[in-house]
Amino acid sequence: MKAMLVDTTRCTGCRSCQVACKQWNNLPAVQTRFFSDGSMQNPAHRSSKTWAVVTFHELPKNNRPGLFFGRLQCFHCVDPACADACPVHALKKTKLGPVVYDPGLCLGCRYCQMACPFNAPRFDWDKPVPEIRKCTMCYDRVAAGGRPACVAACPAEALAFGERSEMVAEAEARIRQSPARYVAHVYGKNEVGGTCVLHLAAVPFESLGYPSGLPDEPVADHIRSAMHTVPYAMATLGLALGAVAWVVNRRMENTGDKPDKAE
Amino acid sequence: MTNHWIDLQNADVIMVCGSNVAENHPVAVRWMEEARKRGAVILSADPRFTRTSAFADRYCPLRSGTDIAFVGGMIRYAFSNNRLNYDYLRDNTNASFIVKPEYAFNDGLFSGFDPASATYDKASWAYETDENGVPLQDPTMTDKRCVLMRVKAQYKRYRLKTVCGIVGAPRYLYEKFCDLYTGTYENGKAGTWLYAMGGTQSTHGTQNVRAYSVLQLLLGNIGIAGGGVNALRGESNVQGSTDMALLYNQLPGYLAAPAEKDKTLADYLAARTPKSADPKSANWWQNTPKYVASLLKAWYGPAATRENDFCYDWLPKYGRDCSYVNLFSGIESGDIRGLVLFGQNPAVSGPSCQRQLAALSRLSWMAAVDLFETETASFWKRPGANPSDIDTEVFLLPAVASVEKAGSITNSGRWAQWREKALDGPGDTKPDLWILDALYRAVRKEYERGGVFPDPVVNLAWNYDGADQEPDPRKVAQEINGFFVAEATANNRSFMAGDQAPSFAFLLDDGSTACGNWLYSGSFPGPKPEDNRMAARGIKQGDDRIGLYPGWAWCWPVNRRILYNRASVDANGQPRDPARWVIRWNAEKSAWEGDVPDGPWPPGDRYPFIMLPEGHARLFAQGLADGPLPEHYEPWEGPVQNALSSQRHNPLLLSAKGKGPAKEPGSPERFPVVATTYRVGEHWQAGALTRNTPWLIELVPSAYAEIGEILAMMLGIKNGDRVVVETARGSVEVYALVTKRFGTFRVGGKILHEVGLVWHFGYEGLARGASANVLTPDIADPNSRIPEYKAFLCNVRKAAEG
Repeated sequence: MKAMLVDTTRCTGCRSCQVACKQWNNLPAVQTRFFSDGSMQNPAHRSSKTWAVVTFHELPKNNRPGLFFGRLQCFHCVDPACADACPVHALKKTKLGPVVYDPGLCLGCRYCQMACPFNAPRFDWDKPVPEIRKCTMCYDRVAAGGRPACVAACPAEALAFGERSEMVAEAEARIRQSPARYVAHVYGKNEVGGTCVLHLAAVPFESLGYPSGLPDEPVADHIRSAMHTVPYAMATLGLALGAVAWVVNRRMENTGDKPDKAE
Repeated sequence: MTNHWIDLQNADVIMVCGSNVAENHPVAVRWMEEARKRGAVILSADPRFTRTSAFADRYCPLRSGTDIAFVGGMIRYAFSNNRLNYDYLRDNTNASFIVKPEYAFNDGLFSGFDPASATYDKASWAYETDENGVPLQDPTMTDKRCVLMRVKAQYKRYRLKTVCGIVGAPRYLYEKFCDLYTGTYENGKAGTWLYAMGGTQSTHGTQNVRAYSVLQLLLGNIGIAGGGVNALRGESNVQGSTDMALLYNQLPGYLAAPAEKDKTLADYLAARTPKSADPKSANWWQNTPKYVASLLKAWYGPAATRENDFCYDWLPKYGRDCSYVNLFSGIESGDIRGLVLFGQNPAVSGPSCQRQLAALSRLSWMAAVDLFETETASFWKRPGANPSDIDTEVFLLPAVASVEKAGSITNSGRWAQWREKALDGPGDTKPDLWILDALYRAVRKEYERGGVFPDPVVNLAWNYDGADQEPDPRKVAQEINGFFVAEATANNRSFMAGDQAPSFAFLLDDGSTACGNWLYSGSFPGPKPEDNRMAARGIKQGDDRIGLYPGWAWCWPVNRRILYNRASVDANGQPRDPARWVIRWNAEKSAWEGDVPDGPWPPGDRYPFIMLPEGHARLFAQGLADGPLPEHYEPWEGPVQNALSSQRHNPLLLSAKGKGPAKEPGSPERFPVVATTYRVGEHWQAGALTRNTPWLIELVPSAYAEIGEILAMMLGIKNGDRVVVETARGSVEVYALVTKRFGTFRVGGKILHEVGLVWHFGYEGLARGASANVLTPDIADPNSRIPEYKAFLCNVRKAAEG
């Protein structure tokens, strides 16, 4: 099983990875006006058009200015709750590691979004039938023996890619070799049963926007039975939300104020 | 760079001062990280906490325009703590040379100053010499008049407390920087200094770089692996264009351009060829006549003969300052009537760009070669202009992008790398070479029918047609490399007419060789495409020892990867740092090993700094216009009095009307906030490329000013508000980025605030905004003539609602 290692202490916030993601996956730019909150971060959130975002955090350290980066994307859980939750098996965990999906099967029920502890799946709310969108870890590239586009683009070698066991060992070795540089935690090694995107950081992960307090057991174990009782209710809610989005967008377009739209 | 990008991995301390390397040269951090894995420390000194500061191990604030105070304090720290590399200084620098007794420095002025003309008579800055003209030396370096003691005296005033009161840094941070950096004085320790436009774009920018060099020499950090004074160039090929004579006062290969006083070739060569009476001085520039003759042969072909001085008379001779800022005065005055722009957008990138925009309408015609219609190309329809009032005829020629043409680029590390065309450009776009070729042919056709002084145009040697009748960049590269035009013997080897020159060591001054740029001789030493060494992509085992990779691309001069590498060895040719040796003398084989050494001579035969007539690196130098040693002055628009002397700013700045900037400097009373400008990683220069790329616009969509939290609070400005930034030149309205990363500066008992603006924006393209260069002053460094974009004064206020 493959995994990505994101060493946020090596990241310089250049966001080549964000652009490479959009380029490889043919995703449109999001219209932004200024930076979103958090220094120079843009866009503010992941969306159906932005599958990965480098987050900026101005955190003073010892009364001195500090600037730290995080990276949010699909974490590609070893035992993904989204895949278990999906009533039509549109999502699946591949042997290679990436959690992939078939948008053609997606009902737009948003079930996976509810199940995901990392809030990774996003939906095209401006379409009548919303479809799931999220990072695929460039499964097409990985299946052909390559690296994800973001990893290939990173000039700082903040992103690494390889066998998960090797990435875990590499992450632990870095902490061992430079204990002052890192918090002593490989985020994703054990969280929710382990993920295929592992993170290292210089400051506590919750201060970089990573969900904290996650159990070491897969989320799927807890929610599997409960989740299976309500899929059709969720699908209905999803359709209703889609309708609301359609009305809102139409109004905004009529007033000339463009919503989050591709250029 | 004296060294190169990969060599950053060899450093023990990496000082980033005057550069924002992580944002503007993102790939470099890969090699900085390699150094850190080996235990290196990365230091960042900058007015604001940048993404480089985030990547660095330590940060120290530095108010814009105060680099010399910052470095001067380090120099004093090195003297006070006995952290000088004495062996290195004695063998490699002019530390032991005796300066003339008339030399003096008093209250900010060096001896020889003439207040009327604001210039120096530099006679008193010379060395004392013996009867043969060889400089006198004191090998103990203790004579009061020797260079080392002059340096010590100069920086005696740069106490920690004084310096911190100028740059505005807390003492504990600055002192730690001094300690860490000067710790590289030992053999076996390497410190590298990375700078860019933060250092150069100043009214004392050349002296800023001199200050870095003086410190590096005192610590023995030049010529070694992991050391050097490293200019990070702001464009992927700016090194190449500088090598090819981008500036008005140069010919290709850093030969001086002839001035009006250089009436004949003999006059020019007599004035421009340095002499040395010392037999141990290689004095490489003594070869100037060979390089000039070969250059003229390359340009004028058979028309250039020994009898007619190789058509030297045809070269333009400049009689006044024709630098960038003055070009626009020339347009304003009507002296310049036509303008050709290749990928340049001064309406966004020039200082006081509103003045430059207004000047453009004085032109009869303009031809802009670019990928997009830039602000400059569309100046006639800019906001507020009435096109019917503007008579300028404007031509827009669509050019291909860099990946749509073949050719070489030379990176900051002096590597010339050949790139093949990856794809065809869209529509009617053409490579620059094609456009130049067509332009030349059309101009020649006109001159063939007659005209004033047609000779230099109709006789130009212009033979670049490839197999497909299109101009071939390889043919240009082969001419740049140089070739024999007649049968000749050079350096004990025989050559036939048409042979490519193996290197500049084979160029001759008798007209039998032609060479477009001596510095690039050796880059294409044969007739076949595979002889193009710039296209070489060979990696051998062992190349990763110190990362020289001599088989990858080609580097000037003669593929020498680390300049001044003779300074890395002792008198026996043995490396001072055996672990990271660059070159070493193999006595058994009687040969050098490692990098290409600075000249083939055995160790001790020649002084190490072969480009200087005295053969020793200059701590103290007569060459610059504004002083033999760097001295701190405030910027032209400085917020405070100079704490070190009563000379507020560089005494050489001209203020006479017509010669200097259009407007008087703004006063600190009216404009109390320090301002600086910069780029971000997401945009490229004047923005024509990136402000038309939606993915990049998404990341940085608009012009903005970075404002510290305290100043923002005082002015009632919130993050995302519109603010007006105003200077004596003009004002812009931009977004406010309120940040913890811009602190305050405690300077001379006052608290100073600084704001920073990106200058990438303009009124064309998909993403538009105000260029920060509306605000910048058109006052320039007296040596390089680079404008002071990096330090000026402004006022900030919240924009009116609506």
